Amino acid sequence: MIHLIDIFKEFPPNTVALRGINLHIEAGEFVSIVGLSGSGKTTVVRLLIAEAKPTKGQIVVGGWDITKIKNSQVPCLRRQIGVVFQDFKLLNKKTVFENVAFALQVAGTVRSRINSIVPQVLEIVDLKDKANRYPQQLSGGEKQRVAIARALIHRPKVLLADEPTGNLDTINSKGIIDLLLKINEFGTTVVLVTHDKDIVNSLKKRVVTLDAGAVSQDQRVGKYVI
Amino acid sequence: MFILSLGRSLMFALQSFWRNFWLSLATIVIIFLTFLSINFLIGINAVSDSALAAVKDRVDISVYFKPEVQEVKISEIKSHLGAMPQVKDIVYKSPELNLKEFQERHKNDANIQETLKELEGNPLGGTLVIRAGQLADYPEVLKAVDNPAYADLIEEKNYEDHQLVITRINNISDNVRKGAIIISILFILIAILIVFNTVRIAIFTHQNEISIMKLVGASNWFIRAPFIFESIFSGIIGCLLALAVFYPLLSLVQPQLASFFNGANFDLVGYFNNHLVWIVGSQLVGIIILNFISSSAAIGRYLKV
Ligand SMILES: Nc1ncnc2c1ncn2[C@@H]1O[C@H](COP(=O)(O)OP(=O)(O)OP(=O)(O)O)[C@@H](O)[C@H]1O
Ligand SMILES: [Mg+2]
Repeated sequence: MIHLIDIFKEFPPNTVALRGINLHIEAGEFVSIVGLSGSGKTTVVRLLIAEAKPTKGQIVVGGWDITKIKNSQVPCLRRQIGVVFQDFKLLNKKTVFENVAFALQVAGTVRSRINSIVPQVLEIVDLKDKANRYPQQLSGGEKQRVAIARALIHRPKVLLADEPTGNLDTINSKGIIDLLLKINEFGTTVVLVTHDKDIVNSLKKRVVTLDAGAVSQDQRVGKYVI
Repeated sequence: MFILSLGRSLMFALQSFWRNFWLSLATIVIIFLTFLSINFLIGINAVSDSALAAVKDRVDISVYFKPEVQEVKISEIKSHLGAMPQVKDIVYKSPELNLKEFQERHKNDANIQETLKELEGNPLGGTLVIRAGQLADYPEVLKAVDNPAYADLIEEKNYEDHQLVITRINNISDNVRKGAIIISILFILIAILIVFNTVRIAIFTHQNEISIMKLVGASNWFIRAPFIFESIFSGIIGCLLALAVFYPLLSLVQPQLASFFNGANFDLVGYFNNHLVWIVGSQLVGIIILNFISSSAAIGRYLKV
């Protein structure tokens, strides 16, 4: 599903964020990416959604070589890869429903279809009864669930989560991780970037450890070892 | 799907327009002023054109014949001169008509009335009033009238070329026109800058939204279009507002102008009415193109997608 082949990423003048990453993720996998701050985790995520382009190497997502993707094709890629971040990135002037619907609106989906899909996705993240609230009226965990709902709305093959629990307490974090596992069970490939040792250890899933822009460990059933 | 996206773009544009209302207002005001001055310029052109036409229309040559010259003779001369290609129109005025007009003109002058009464018969002869097609044709016509064969028959010739008035109108309208052109250009430049800046600020206030739109896979044109539409809204509103203010102003000024040019028949409101489609159309097209270019420049510079 995801193939990073000998990826280098430099930020001029003198930062080398990634130096020769090789990473292959199969469809339906749940992979955690861990590593010290500055080891290049977010850079990998940004390369996967074509927010940045690799200096060297090849990236293939779902059979599509996005190494030299054209600007006009980036939107199409973003509809196939859902992504959530630590800071949720919600629109404060829109309700939960509208925030999720927004992703469909900008893609030219008709209103009737929006009205039928959004509640379904809100159901999955268990926010159906809070559809009319504004982000300020939600807890951090709920906000992140809105972001996940929005990321899922296009039925992506891959969900990238860059420290989704970074701003959350333990209980809320657990809720989010359980949700990601549930989404993975539906067949979506999930890539989780995290700092949380307990979470990684409890998952008992594949763990990729980055160190200074290179893969230092890749374990089938991994532990958080740094 | 295209129509739907277009509709959503327009909606986003409207929302942004309201959210940045004061900024939108500034754009509208400057575009309003721009078009007010442009319409003023059009008005000046129309006024000076019709004033010139009116004055040119008054230019003629009057040939006063001696009283003893017979009407048949004058008729002969009339058809002779009338055959000239330069002569547009030639009118014969009988001695009786001339006398009547003379009396009418001096009816308050007791001396003249007295003298006329003392005179036996009509002291005035017939007159030919000649108009040429063009101002430039008059010298030719004058030469023909100066024919030595007529010298004995003619009492007096009167050629008023109104050259002074024409030059003066030209001077005044040229100056006003120049001023209006400079002001219009100045306003257009300011409008371009303000539209550019408005879009720039609109982009900054929507930074968050833009990054989220990118994240969820909005196409590039879908992200850009609302900003262009927003600037075009302001342009259209400013342009129509200017016309809405200009028209009543026009009907206010119209009577003043009519009396200033004293009787000269021209109708500024009518002029604008007759050219309405062209005036409104070209102004709308102009402001749409201008705002499109200006907002595209701002987007190209500040909205990296
Ligand atoms: N836009 C950029 N310009 C210059 N350097 C950058 C840029 N983005 C990232 N870097 C550098 O690349 C390296 C990797 O950054 P990255 O954000 O991928 O780290 P990370 O593993 O996500 O860290 P954290 O756990 O703190 O989020 C860092 O040294 C960072 O300073
Ligand atoms: Mg990071």
